Amino acid sequence: MTSPRTRVLFALMAIVALLAALAAVACGGDDDDTGKQQADDGHDHQEFKLGDLTIVDPWVRTTTNNVTAAYMTIKSKGAADTLVSASSPIAGMVQLHEVITEGSSSKMQEKPGGFPVPASGAVELKPGGYHIMLMDLKQQPKEGEKVELTLKFEKAGEIKITAPVKTAAGSGPDMDHNAQGSSSGMGGMASPTAGSGR
Amino acid sequence: MPRFSWRTLALALAAVALVPAAVACSGDDGDDTSPGGAQYMGAIVTPPIEKPDAILMDENGKPFDLRKETEGYVTLLYVGYTHCPDICPTHLYEISEALKKLDPDIRKQIKVVFATADPERDTPEQLKQYLDTFDPDFIGLTGTRDLMDQFQVALGLQPATRTDLGGGNYAVNHAAYVMAFTKDNYAYTVYPSGMGQKEWLNDLPLLVKKGFRKE
Repeated sequence: MTSPRTRVLFALMAIVALLAALAAVACGGDDDDTGKQQADDGHDHQEFKLGDLTIVDPWVRTTTNNVTAAYMTIKSKGAADTLVSASSPIAGMVQLHEVITEGSSSKMQEKPGGFPVPASGAVELKPGGYHIMLMDLKQQPKEGEKVELTLKFEKAGEIKITAPVKTAAGSGPDMDHNAQGSSSGMGGMASPTAGSGR
Repeated sequence: MPRFSWRTLALALAAVALVPAAVACSGDDGDDTSPGGAQYMGAIVTPPIEKPDAILMDENGKPFDLRKETEGYVTLLYVGYTHCPDICPTHLYEISEALKKLDPDIRKQIKVVFATADPERDTPEQLKQYLDTFDPDFIGLTGTRDLMDQFQVALGLQPATRTDLGGGNYAVNHAAYVMAFTKDNYAYTVYPSGMGQKEWLNDLPLLVKKGFRKE
């Protein structure tokens, strides 16, 4: 049997635990808010569906020469899959690239095997990590135009999407776009971290 | 044991439990380890990088004496290449957007220099066309392969190497960060890939007004 005193103690301990939990929520709240802002922020939010896969907000960068890059987020609500190749009518050659930073130097190279999409997760193609490299461009994509891309997945097969052309995806002054891959909403992010030259 | 002491104990526990939470919260606001209390978000480099004394060719095809032309300015220097589809344009875009939002008095004390690691492809015309898409005030620098290699070595970097992509295409492996030289011609902070407007809007006014010399 617990004494009334002990019960009071337990009650107080429970309050302590609750307060601590509230404080922790208040701290973590920043990350959650950032995630929501980014999700709501998508002015021209776009989604393409292929089986369990969803291609979210693809975009292609403007260029002044014969190469450029395409970015997007690929989500899977089911099994894992892999983006194995891509093509575009505007590019003579298309590769799946990763950027690797070692020490002070950054290296861009073909990603062997393609970009893995984790089961019930997402892979983010973004600057400093993964991108679809469009080379030998037959025309320079200009802001406001749309570029057709065909993505080929190991299991889900092929999908044709159109991606708007932008100078860059703005990070905005208040948003920590670095946190996108690590701490925000979407679970199971497989985005490589952009290393620093520190 | 008298009853109040339980309450005291519980309140004390509550206080103890909340203190680390409060510390964890405030810790995100930035630490105070920077000299003079200025809170830089860039990565601190030690020892600082000295601005090279180099004469290269600018985007108009004119000789450009880096020390002379940037004397008295905060100078953001990035070594990249225009056929770079990923981190170069991201850095340049983030800088250009931050500059637009800065107080014009701060803005006019900043110069941005993009030096190519790919002089074979980056002619002055190519540099100009590329940089104008971000900010026509950005300065592009090129030169012979030897000069550009020496320039990178002077910045403490490895001279850029190439990765063959097939079909005559190649990627240039180059420095991943932007260096920020203060008015004393030293860079104490660098900005790796992933840092953007938020970091620039925080650091640029500090770099202009405060620099990095210890008082």
